[in-house]
Amino acid sequence: MQVREYLIRRLMILPLLVIGTSIIVFTLTRVGGSPIGIYLSHEMSQEEVAEIEARYHLDDPLPVQYLYWAGGVLRGDLGWSGISAGPVTQVMPDKIAASLELAVAAGIVAVTLGVGLGTFAGARRNRLPDHIARIFSISGASMPTFWFAIILLIVFWVYLGWFPVGRSTTALFTSIEHPTGLYTVDALLAGNLRAFGDALWHLVLPAVTLGYGATAIIARMMRSSLVEELQEDYVDAARAKGLAERVVLKRHARRNALIPTVTVIGLSFGFLLQGSVVTEIIFQWPGMGRWMADAVLRGDQATIMAYVLFTSVLFLGVNLVVDIVYAYLDRRVVLGD
Amino acid sequence: MTESTMPIASIRDLRIHFRSKAGVVHAVDGVSFDIRRGETLGLVGETGCGKSVTARSLLRLNPMPPGIHAGGTVEFRGAGELPVELTGVDESTLRAIRGNRIAMIFQDPGKALNPGLTVREQIAEVFYQHRADELLDDIGLTDRAGLVRTLIAREASLRSRWIERGLLRVPPLRAHRAALRRAVDDRVTDALAETQIPNPRAVMDRYPHELSGGMRQRVMIAQALACNPDLLIADEPTTALDVTVQARILDLINDLQRRHDTAVLYISHDLSLVRRVCDRVVVMYAGKIVETGPTEDLFANPSHPYTRGLLAAIPSASHQRGALAAIEGTVPELVDPDPGCRFATRCGFATPMCETTDPGLAPVAADHEVACFIHHPVPGGVGPAYEKAAT
Ligand SMILES: Nc1ncnc2c1ncn2[C@@H]1O[C@H](COP(=O)(O)OP(=O)(O)O)[C@@H](O)[C@H]1O
Ligand code: SF4
Ligand SMILES: [Mg+2]
Repeated sequence: MQVREYLIRRLMILPLLVIGTSIIVFTLTRVGGSPIGIYLSHEMSQEEVAEIEARYHLDDPLPVQYLYWAGGVLRGDLGWSGISAGPVTQVMPDKIAASLELAVAAGIVAVTLGVGLGTFAGARRNRLPDHIARIFSISGASMPTFWFAIILLIVFWVYLGWFPVGRSTTALFTSIEHPTGLYTVDALLAGNLRAFGDALWHLVLPAVTLGYGATAIIARMMRSSLVEELQEDYVDAARAKGLAERVVLKRHARRNALIPTVTVIGLSFGFLLQGSVVTEIIFQWPGMGRWMADAVLRGDQATIMAYVLFTSVLFLGVNLVVDIVYAYLDRRVVLGD
Repeated sequence: MTESTMPIASIRDLRIHFRSKAGVVHAVDGVSFDIRRGETLGLVGETGCGKSVTARSLLRLNPMPPGIHAGGTVEFRGAGELPVELTGVDESTLRAIRGNRIAMIFQDPGKALNPGLTVREQIAEVFYQHRADELLDDIGLTDRAGLVRTLIAREASLRSRWIERGLLRVPPLRAHRAALRRAVDDRVTDALAETQIPNPRAVMDRYPHELSGGMRQRVMIAQALACNPDLLIADEPTTALDVTVQARILDLINDLQRRHDTAVLYISHDLSLVRRVCDRVVVMYAGKIVETGPTEDLFANPSHPYTRGLLAAIPSASHQRGALAAIEGTVPELVDPDPGCRFATRCGFATPMCETTDPGLAPVAADHEVACFIHHPVPGGVGPAYEKAAT
């Protein structure tokens, strides 16, 4: 199938999947409690509560309530975020930008380190560098994030004072405009290198924390698929042509080994993007993860639903991108099979 | 011996073992033979007897570890060059021989071609690797000095890194790079045309999976013969192909070999094919050579019981093509083998001494050697004989 045709078909299915996901989550959150619980107080009378419920259509059956919510989404109204004391549509872009910036930084760490390490280890299978890489990967995949984050925090913030926490230094933050909400990009647009350095500096610890797990997963995948590729006949055939081992590894084996790794990279990136609750809380990063955690703890249903909408679109989008990149890398793939 | 009568390659007492969980596998255990200039030498034997390992040692392609070079030498004498001992030679000399003086076609062209590169990219690599100077000549850069030449020369010999490749996309260099590509394309086209591929220009941009098995093997052949090597190793080149295509591929190899005076080491477990195309034959059994001789003589007077068994198993009009079922029993374990004749467990003529003493190769006729006590003078004891067993 042609890539374009495939894309159109997938884009047509996408809304259906998003609707399905949102129905399920909507139902579950409503079962979990009343959305106005967060606004009620003990002084309110029974009548007052009933009046509020009526105003927000909470006395209607669930499907009707869902339709009100969906209608709002279509009109660009995601409701009122109780925890942020503002409309969701106004708060969310900043949160997404914060998580996006962190995810991209963590993604860059994870992909370069993961692919590099996996290649290095796979090409030296069962030798010392491979074993060291394996220890690194296993610890990355199994060490709890909160623990790793706290260690980084204690060592690099408390003791050494090399890296800050939070997202930026207030004085620098207020000195520039923020058209994109990505502080590094904003600083560059403003031509303010100090603000850029500051934004980057604040990114280091959370990006390393968040990227470590993904690095480990990508490295494992890269290693095992490279080991597999290196046993293929075409690798020997490439050597038999007189090619240098570097060329055999990079031009022949690694390129094919990247194909299965792309799926893992794409999915990891999806996880990075949705925001990490633990990392964002520990490093005081004002992103989607922390926002979501607050919303769940305080029963802020509008925020929860907005988050669900965001993550489902995100994952479906990531899957689509992964499929396309995969088809591009592996010429044998016929999309849609 | 003068240079032109010296064999192109001489393998002497080659031992290649593999470490495995069960012990050390003696895959090749004291093999010696010559490959003469321009001849087709057949290497036959059952699957697993060590044919591929022997052949791959000519390119030092056996993975070490798990492989162990347990002894022996592989000497190669390229036309007009000093002899090179391949098992000990340095990496760069070896690479200058691989794909250039000695080339190889593999059993399954579907696996031996990289699925992610086009036919053009794969064959071009051979020219980049071994003909970079000529390519620079083609585009008139040989006598130039400076950055342009350096960068293009590095690109032409597959040495450029990604930053350099980026630079090569920028205008002043871009034209040179395009010229280089055209020069390579011309050579790739010629190489493909040699193998009678119709419309080489169109095939060039295909990926291997878009071609038929026969076409893929032609691409492999084009790639192997691109630099006009002195020796071509063909490891079961038609086993993975349709019967209808097999004959055409064989004829093609034969034809190209005759025209370019290339020696061919032709590996097969199919004796009828070997009989058709080979000048001489080496028969291997369980890591050792059991018989070797000119094709005519060997097929007329097979002297080793194993060779006789193989010949009896050749399919004819009366019975089906199949495995070497005519010989009873299975190939012995190659792990820590016994000192005697490896065939003793399956041989109908074996005597006690066969199990304890290794019969070395000894001549039975001109150019015809056999490793069996039936043909050796046995000191003192009573050796095996065909007549005795017949009664
Ligand atoms: N890379 C390897 N690792 C371990 N054992 C090997 C390897 N290559 C070959 N062998 C062993 O060497 C023996 C001979 O193999 P091979 O030369 O491929 O046989 P064939 O005559 O079928 O070509 C087999 O028993 C095989 O198990
Ligand atoms: S040496 Fe003995 S066992 Fe070996 S082939 Fe000859 S007769 Fe058979
Ligand atoms: Mg083989």
